[in-house]
Amino acid sequence: MEYVSPEGLLLDGRRPMEMRQLRAEIGTVAKADGSAVFEMGNTKVIAAVYGPREVQNRSQQMSDQALVRCEYSMANFSTGDRMRKPKGDRRSTEISLVIRQTMEACILTHLMPRSQIDIFVQVLQADVGTRSACINAASLALADAGIPMRDIVTSCSAGYLNSTPLLDLNYVEDSAGGADVTVGILPKLDKVTLLQMDAKLPLDIFENVMGLAIEGCKAVANYIREILLENTKQLEYRRGL
Amino acid sequence: MVGLSAGEKHFIQGGIAQDLRSDGRKRLTYRSIYVETGVIPQAHGSARVRLGATDVIASVKAELGRPSGLQPDKGKIAIFVDCSPTAAPMFEGRGGEELSTELSVALQRCLLGGKSGAGAGIDPASLVVVEGKVCWDLYIDGLVISSDGNLLDALAAAIKAALSNTGIPKVDVAAETTGDEQPEVNISDEEFLQFDTSGIPVIVTLTKVGRHYIVDATSEEESQMSSAVSISINRKGHICGLTKRGGAGLDPSIILDMISVAKHVSEQLLNKLDSEIAAAEASDEES
Repeated sequence: MEYVSPEGLLLDGRRPMEMRQLRAEIGTVAKADGSAVFEMGNTKVIAAVYGPREVQNRSQQMSDQALVRCEYSMANFSTGDRMRKPKGDRRSTEISLVIRQTMEACILTHLMPRSQIDIFVQVLQADVGTRSACINAASLALADAGIPMRDIVTSCSAGYLNSTPLLDLNYVEDSAGGADVTVGILPKLDKVTLLQMDAKLPLDIFENVMGLAIEGCKAVANYIREILLENTKQLEYRRGL
Repeated sequence: MVGLSAGEKHFIQGGIAQDLRSDGRKRLTYRSIYVETGVIPQAHGSARVRLGATDVIASVKAELGRPSGLQPDKGKIAIFVDCSPTAAPMFEGRGGEELSTELSVALQRCLLGGKSGAGAGIDPASLVVVEGKVCWDLYIDGLVISSDGNLLDALAAAIKAALSNTGIPKVDVAAETTGDEQPEVNISDEEFLQFDTSGIPVIVTLTKVGRHYIVDATSEEESQMSSAVSISINRKGHICGLTKRGGAGLDPSIILDMISVAKHVSEQLLNKLDSEIAAAEASDEES
């Protein structure tokens, strides 16, 4: 099947270097310390952050740094066919772990010893790239909660189909079976914190695809910065400053 | 869950006794309700309802299935509720399961009527395509995103809104079959059937704090409750279901009093909800 037309357009009308539409909103869960909705195309996730607060389970308390925990869950209606999976299946455990490790790397945990930070991400609509969307949403929620961070982690994926590197795959492109590289970076420090790939790619092409994904992450970072700035301006306005 | 000092508890209880609650409402006033429909494009119908800081999503998905042998002339409707850990850290892991089950059962009792289907908000007979062979199975999923008390009323309102937003594809029977064979059906992707949602009740929960009872309690107020009665009432003023929660016993005369108050409150709630749903549908069609 042709995924890239001779004119260089993808099936949904994007260009190979073009991202799906991004949308973000801060402060959607009133009761949480920080929260955000993040949409990438048809993928929509909500993240909520509680903390830093007292450690619930004393045996996990660390005297030199904060404990970061994360739970990923999918709504029953998030997938095309309705699913009823028990909580904590292997996929969500793995994604929880990935998000936790990625966020832990950017939170200044040593500033908040003997405390706990909970990150909860809930998928409302699952297309492709829930992993990236969750990390972006979690970043925004952590920033909204005012938790000290080294930088804002952003994530994006890229793939390779019909000998063209593609940014931010959608469902049809992902099911086509090409490689899918998910990258998470700290944009200001220019460091990669997350890198995952399935399928195989020649080394020189991998370099291109990863470069493209990093470009995508930077674009997401710019967008997140805009949203945060706008949110801060609104807060400022409401305080009458 | 809610950590309140003795002073705060006293303030809440005193406010309720004097008909001026801590957020400025009277005892029988709801918080402002906000409805958004069509929030989940993958579902047949969906709605998001916000009641103050309480935020819930309901979605309706329909699948073709086989009616049960005992009731060949009725479709099946099931309600599941899930409490997302985003709403409160205590719902993490399996922590929300108990509350989810309590809410699912209460909603089923209040909205779906008895086993025979009598008193159901949606007539299960309208879901049958071929009697005894093909019917629609409706799966109604509720998701609690943010919780600030009164989840049951918010979920019921969301389900009502989601059902008004639902379009079930029209099904034509392609070939008549005899015997036990499943008939072939064509599912239309152009024509959709809408439900008549005027008969779906709303749930009004009256929470008893001290000697008085209040509607639409916040989670702080719920932490002070002695007992609560959830009453589902439809447009005609009929009581469709009733659940009592909480430990303390209630005097039977108080229950009757509560029911008549709930009936009065439900009229205002239904009017408000219907106009909100209509407004949401209109803005959904525009976009």
